[in-house]
Parts: sequence; C-alpha cells; structure tokens
Amino acid sequence: MILKANISEAFTSLANARQRTILAIIGIVIGIGSVIGMVSIGSIAENEALKQFKDMGVDVVMVRLTKGSPSANVTLRDITALKEEEHSILDVAPYLRSSGSYSIGKKSIYLEQMGVTASFFGMNKIRLAEGRFISDLDENRYFCVVGMETAAFLRGIGLNPLLGSQIPLGNRIFTIVGVLDNVSDGGMRPYGLNSSVVMPITTAGRFFEKSDIDSFLALVGNTVSPVQAKTDIQNYFRVKSRELKVRVTTAEELIANMKKQMQIFSLLLGAIGSISLIVGGIGVMNVMLISVTERRMEIGLRRALGAQQGDIQSQFIMEALVLCLVGGVIGIVLGVIVSFIFARVSHWEFLISYGSIILGFGVAAAVGVFFGYYPARSAARLDPIKALRS
Amino acid sequence: MSMLRTVNIHKTYPVGPTEVNVLKGISLEVEQGEFLSVVGASGSGKSTLMHILGLLEQPTSGEYYFEDARIRYEDDRELSILRNRKIGFVFQQYCLLQRLTALDNVGIPLIYRGMGKPEIRERSMAYLQKVEVADRAHHRPNEMSGGQQQRVAIARAMVGNPALILADEPTGALDSRTGQEIMDLFRKLNEEEGITIIVITHDPKIAAQCRRSVEIIDGLVTPPADDGKPH
Repeated sequence: MILKANISEAFTSLANARQRTILAIIGIVIGIGSVIGMVSIGSIAENEALKQFKDMGVDVVMVRLTKGSPSANVTLRDITALKEEEHSILDVAPYLRSSGSYSIGKKSIYLEQMGVTASFFGMNKIRLAEGRFISDLDENRYFCVVGMETAAFLRGIGLNPLLGSQIPLGNRIFTIVGVLDNVSDGGMRPYGLNSSVVMPITTAGRFFEKSDIDSFLALVGNTVSPVQAKTDIQNYFRVKSRELKVRVTTAEELIANMKKQMQIFSLLLGAIGSISLIVGGIGVMNVMLISVTERRMEIGLRRALGAQQGDIQSQFIMEALVLCLVGGVIGIVLGVIVSFIFARVSHWEFLISYGSIILGFGVAAAVGVFFGYYPARSAARLDPIKALRS
Repeated sequence: MSMLRTVNIHKTYPVGPTEVNVLKGISLEVEQGEFLSVVGASGSGKSTLMHILGLLEQPTSGEYYFEDARIRYEDDRELSILRNRKIGFVFQQYCLLQRLTALDNVGIPLIYRGMGKPEIRERSMAYLQKVEVADRAHHRPNEMSGGQQQRVAIARAMVGNPALILADEPTGALDSRTGQEIMDLFRKLNEEEGITIIVITHDPKIAAQCRRSVEIIDGLVTPPADDGKPH
C-alpha cells in the first residue's frame, strides 16, 4: 500500500516539476535510445550476414589454394576432376577474379570481373533477371553476363535491349547473354556480383592478367560432414602437388567466426550507447538531488507525520525509477525507429530484437535505482528538524 | 493517567568550538486530556522542547516517558510509528504540500499506516467535516485562506486519531479573529474528543485560553513540575 502510494506520489511530483522532469527524461531517452538503437542495428547486421548462409545452405565449402613455390601448379582440370575422384564432393565451382576501370561509350565504370563455370550460378543461388547464364558450351568465347548495377549503367548510356549488345572491355568485344537479378553480398559468395561482368573461366584465363585459379567453392553431399569433405579435399590436393597449401573453410566455421565478430561489434556499439546512458543517469541523479533539496520541508513533514527512513528512501527511488522507466519506454521506441531507418537506408531486413527491448527495460530500471539511490538515501537521512525548518 | 513525563531533560547544541545550553533540566508532567500551553520568549527553547516532546529530536540527557513507557532513541522505526499513531503536529506555517489537494494533504499520515486509498479518502473527508472545511476538500492550499489552511492542518494532525496534538505557534501566521477561531476549535476538540493538546506560543493571550500554562525561562520550566498539577 505504501509502495502504491509512493508510485502515485512519484507521478504527481514529477508532473509538478514538469520542466526538470522533461530534461531528465530526455537524458534517459537518448541513453536508452542509443543502447537499443545500437544493439538493434547490431542484430540486424548479424541477421543480414547470416541470411546469406541460409540462402546458400551450409553444404558449401570454400577452398583457397596458395602456391608454396612457382613450380606448384594446379589446373582447371585438376579442380573439376575433384567431384569425380572424391565421392564426398558433388560439384565444384572454380572461379577467377579481377577488376578494373573501363570506358564504355563516353563514361567510365569500375567493374568486378569474374571467370566462372556453369556450376557457379547454381551453387551461389544466383537468379537471372533476363537472358541466360554462362554455359560450359561458351568455353573460350567472349560472352558475358552482367550484374544488376552494371546493367543499369549500360542502359544509362543507351544500350537497349541489353541482350545481344556488345560492349568493349580493353581490346576485346564481349556480347551480353544475360543479366543477373540483385545478389546480396556475404556468406561464401564472391563480393561485388552486382557491379560485375561474368564470363567463362576459360575466357578469363586468357583475358585476365593473372590466370591462376586460386579459389573455388565445393558442394558437399548431404550424407557427408563438412569436416570429412575438408579432409578429402586436402588429401586430394596433397597427392596432386606437395607444394600447394590448401585452406578449406566450411560454412560453420565462417558463421562461428562471423558471430564472434558480431558479438564484439555489438559489445562495442552497446558500450558506446552505455556512455550516453551513464550521462543520462547522472542527469537523473542531478535532478533527484535538486528535488530532494527543494523538498526538504516536505521530507521533514513526512517524517513528523510518521514516515520511516525507508518510506522516504523508497519514495525517492520510486520517483527516479518512474523517471527512468518513462524515459526508457520512449527511448526503446526511439531506438527501434532509428534501427528501422538504418535498415531501410541500407536495404537490410528490419527486425525487432525482443532481447534488446527487455534489456532496455532492465537497464532503465537499473539506472533509476542506481542513480536514484544516493539522492534517496540522503533524503532519508535528513534530520527531520533541520528539514522542517527550511 | 500520565500522557507524558520528562525527567531533567537537557539539550545542548554545538556552536563552533563551544556549546549552547538550550534546555537546562526540564521536568514536566502532562496528564491525559490536558489543554496546556507552553509560553516562552523567542529563543527560550520552547520549540526545542516541542521537538523533543514530538520525538523529532533526541535530548542530550534526561529521560522521556510517553504513556509511561520510556522512549528509546536508537530505533528510528519505533519513533516513526509512535509519531504516526500517537502524535499530531500543527505548525505555524501550516506545512501543507502545495501540489496536493486538502483531502490528500489530510491523508498523508494514514499512508504510512499502509491504509488503502479509498479508506484514506473517506477518513480524511470525515475530519475535514469536523474542522468545517469539507467544501475545500478538492482545493489546493494556495486556493485557501490562512485560517482554512490551518484547519486542514489540524484535520491532518487528527486524522490518525492521536493521543496528543502538539501545536507550535498555531495562530502565529493568522489575524487575531482567525486565530481565535483556531483556539476555539482546539478547545472544542479537547473537550469533546478528550485529546491532549499542547500549544506552544509566545502570546500570553493565547496561553490564557488554555487550562494550564507553563513558562519556559532561560531553559527551565516555571512553575516546576511539582507545582504544575492540573487545576
């Protein structure tokens, strides 16, 4: 009952000192808002990163080949033969990559260039907007598929329709056979497919300056564990060449790594938010101290009328708590709105992290109790007589 | 039966390196149902005495018996409960909380008894009626005259049905006609409800209206306790 009276007392007294209350609440709103905003953005980013794996599945491993000496050599044939010799591997998608700026028409564009086999598209779960993918029958021919952004650029300089159009890259003319749908980066996918031009790997081998195949994706059969596949791949290449270093990364390893990074990232964001929360908390403490000073007469009176020290203390803690919880609710809403805008601007999927909302309430309450404790205690310890005289 | 009894109470305050003796051995006995005034010039220590009688302050030495039980000052909880249940205060400046209505001001002591809101409101209203300001129940103090505010304060002192009301210069901030009304109200409460009332004042005219009067001169009670039996 006393508690209930203290809560309603907190609301009337806060409503009474409106200006001061609003200032203190703003501090908490910014503090809680930034913690919630930061944590939400963190989980949105994490979700986005993991989404690529959900798209591609976790049965793909990435293999990177590093030559130990110049004599070590691995051919396209060695890689494609992997799926025939090791039954744990269902398919492989070797690729070459390069990049450069080109002038097409009167404008220049920076392009990611990729040489791939037909299996590349399926394994990366890439969809077409129009035309067709590169096929294994396109070997050595100057055909290409362009990414979404590249396509937009080419349309912008007047190439329409794109399919069948020819574009000059360096001293070669490529014919466009397909346009890719939007591809999000992340997971095992090579970076920058939207701003790319993709050609047969055999063409790339002649067209790129550097033509050593140093990485490929491999699809692991679903009865085989990725760890088993990893050993199989390493054994296979050890036989081909002792000088070759083979690094196999499974999706699980990448996910684990990424989660670890995201945790650090979230922790960092949370820490930045916490700093403003501490500043907000100090604001609450300040307001509460002023409130105690201004209400010395009231405190003395309440003591005279029978309030125990604990009653006075809980009255002021309750006031700080109400202040922080009201600020906390507004802050949570604000933080969610900020993360929503952030997700919109970066074209990421928005999600509300319920954990962070609970965290927000918890933190707001903790801040209220923590920063309200000292003012409340000094109120409770006031000498009733001195308080009454003021 | 004894309402309260003090034995040789001293109170000294430290002032810089020295001490000031405010009360120099007060022995006072008050029976239940008395209507007593404590008169003294300003600085005589009468307010300090009231604070000690009201359990708001601890004497430097001496003993204090309230309803024949010796007061122990170590336990703040116990003192708070005694103040809450047994003592009502009336102050010169009314001491009403400006943000609360008259009704809510009256109810404050009952909050600390853990009483529910509907019951508090009901009782507060009954006491506002008793002091004849029920029509101002939903007004705030700054919408009331001084006399009305003091009546609300008296209702607050009485709402907990205390054994003792301590009034510190209750008419000090009022004109003489309103002051007289307040004194009449005290007399009525004393006669009809049997509440022990102690009025602290510097005004002999107010003191004359009480049934017994003691004076504090230079930190001592005159006449002394032995001669001060009620008459």
